[in-house]
Amino acid sequence: MKTLEEISRLSAEDLERISVDESIPVPEELSGRVQAAVGRRETASLQPARSSARKYGASVFAVAAAISLFALGAVFLNRERTPKDTFDDPYLAYAEVEKAFAKITGTVSYGASKISESETTLDKLNYWK
Amino acid sequence: MKKLYILVAMLLVSISALAQDGRSLYNKYSDYDNVEAVYISPAMFRLIGKIPDIQMEGENVNLAPIIKSLSGLYILTISNQDLAADLAADVNRFIQKGDYELLMEAKDNGEVTRMYTVGDERTVNSFVLLSRDGEETNFICIDGTIPRDQLEDLIAKAAAE
Repeated sequence: MKTLEEISRLSAEDLERISVDESIPVPEELSGRVQAAVGRRETASLQPARSSARKYGASVFAVAAAISLFALGAVFLNRERTPKDTFDDPYLAYAEVEKAFAKITGTVSYGASKISESETTLDKLNYWK
Repeated sequence: MKKLYILVAMLLVSISALAQDGRSLYNKYSDYDNVEAVYISPAMFRLIGKIPDIQMEGENVNLAPIIKSLSGLYILTISNQDLAADLAADVNRFIQKGDYELLMEAKDNGEVTRMYTVGDERTVNSFVLLSRDGEETNFICIDGTIPRDQLEDLIAKAAAE
């Protein structure tokens, strides 16, 4: 049996001649062992590529997460910031509060008048029954 | 990539789920053009309450009993219809999430006004008014620890005048 060193010194023509020479016995399970070796080699060669793809995915995810957190934080801080008083003068502020309550009571007053009108209509209807 | 989609979805859900209240709506809309905004702080309410000669009794509303119990007033008046629609949608969202109760709805010549309160039997913690007509939308939010009976008395008396 030839050693690996001797095989490596053979020319391509010699290797081809030996491969077609059926008189040379082929060890059992050689095909399976060769396929297994090739498979291991391919797996090993793919490993770094997969790893770099995973790293790329992780870094994209990290950047997206950072941007998302920043955006969320900005929105949250903007919503939670304490606004500045519109008026420095309490009299003006009070006038505005009064205006707001006037709007509220105006609406209630309108509602009350409508209820009163409908009660009057009901009374009239009851009278003619 | 799937993780990224999940993250974006979570972000959108988080943003929409952020607690909304009068302050957050005020902060969101007060800086736009064509928006009139008024904010009165708790400190200003305390100051108003301490001034002895302030005219507490106006033509219709006597605010003296409740002025010290107020902790914030937010008013937005919006004439831009697109912005007004956004505000109305936001108000409806926070009304639904905040357990607000509809106090009253009035419709008059195309103007729809709704008033909501949140609190318990004795106290009103927040009062919201949203009024919309074809031209203008008004949002009023009053925060505080307002005794419910005093607020109702005040509104009833003023409405009866």
